[in-house]
Amino acid sequence: MKIMTRADMIVVALAVALLPWLYLSYWAPATQGDEIRILVNGKERMTVSLHQKHQLTIEGTLGTSIIDIHDGKARFVASPCRGKQCVHTGWVSHSGESATCLPNRVSVLVAGNEQRFDSIVF
Amino acid sequence: MRPAFIYAGRALPAITTAIMLTILLSACARQEEPLYTQQLLTFGTLVDISIWGVDKARAMEASRQIGEELQKMHNDWHAWHDSPLTRLNTALASGATVTVPPSLLPLVQKSVVLSRQSEGLFNPAIGKLIKLWGFAQDDLPGGPPPDAAAIAARVAQHPGMEDMTLEKDRLRSANPAVQLDFGAIGKGYGVDLAIERLRKLGVENAIVNAGGNLRAIGRHGDRAWRIGIRNPRGPGVLASIETHGDESILTSGDYERFFEYQGKRYHHIIDPRSGWPATGTTSVTVIAADAATADAASTALFIAGSQGWHEVAKRMGIKQVMLIDDKGQVTMTPEMARRIRFEVSPAPRVKVSAPT
Repeated sequence: MKIMTRADMIVVALAVALLPWLYLSYWAPATQGDEIRILVNGKERMTVSLHQKHQLTIEGTLGTSIIDIHDGKARFVASPCRGKQCVHTGWVSHSGESATCLPNRVSVLVAGNEQRFDSIVF
Repeated sequence: MRPAFIYAGRALPAITTAIMLTILLSACARQEEPLYTQQLLTFGTLVDISIWGVDKARAMEASRQIGEELQKMHNDWHAWHDSPLTRLNTALASGATVTVPPSLLPLVQKSVVLSRQSEGLFNPAIGKLIKLWGFAQDDLPGGPPPDAAAIAARVAQHPGMEDMTLEKDRLRSANPAVQLDFGAIGKGYGVDLAIERLRKLGVENAIVNAGGNLRAIGRHGDRAWRIGIRNPRGPGVLASIETHGDESILTSGDYERFFEYQGKRYHHIIDPRSGWPATGTTSVTVIAADAATADAASTALFIAGSQGWHEVAKRMGIKQVMLIDDKGQVTMTPEMARRIRFEVSPAPRVKVSAPT
């Protein structure tokens, strides 16, 4: 009697073939966000892919905030506030990360399919 | 014995069906995730709410109520716009005995206790000093820092919570220099009240994160909530923690509110002993049961710095602490080290240090 029948071999082959799928769906670190959501005054203004190069000009309550997006990350480059806390925040790229210009009421939130983190403490 | 291909021929459809079902089922499960998230610009910050396991209409209603409540607290506790707090401060400065409005009373009571436990490092009575530094205004100051003599004069007045006498809701200050500013506890306490409200509405799994002041209850379905801790220097997330049951995670950092003047950073965590921004620490992360305690403790431990933090943590009953000093050295208690997971590579060198 053979140690492995053809049926066994098929089962093993299928199991091996399924491994990459299992890995991708359950283990891959899905840290990178896919898109950013821009909120003005808490209301959704637009959703933009993080994988294209954009420069967005967003009208907030004080004036225009400029947001740069490229290589999977986004940041405020200018905003009509005094403190520039939004610009200090720098690049955001992971799902759940955000940058906000409170005086101008503009928020940038990174969203992805599977969030690596449910919330971020800063 | 039958040839093997007969087995294969019988087994194959069954295997294929099983695989297809697995893929289909896991896809459905992901789509119907009962997670509701909402971001609100309120309470002077971005409030991030996640609710798991209730239908969308209920979750929306709960978020709306929290938003309303937080906005009300923000108005009541505001330290520089006309508010019940500014009116209370005016009365305290005149030496009068005043009735504390119900919206402020629990905050005052909690602050008295936490300030005493921290030996005055968490000191919400230094409102005059915060104002002098320009952190009690909508826009961040641009520098220069205040005059050293003016700072010294305010420190010499020694305002502290121990100057206050509270009988029921009647408050008096023996020191006219006391001006209350709840900047180092208000958001944490607000988060506590928001969680309490959610529970009353039957929500058992949720996160409320008000500008980095976070409390999480329950779970995200069949797994724990995963919380990221922002890298204090550089972009992204430094480490993560999974919460158990009901926990608050807060960080106080020198990068949250600051201005730079002539190449020097002046941040918002003022050491009440010197009157200047506390030095030596970059960030402190604390896990505690309630967010108000964690908020006050993270400030007090930040000020205590790498020399004194164990002592203060012990007195405040805080066991899970991570402190990053200005040289980038990461120190944590054994209780914190057991749960934290670094998300940067290479992971920083960590010193685990227990109180003596």
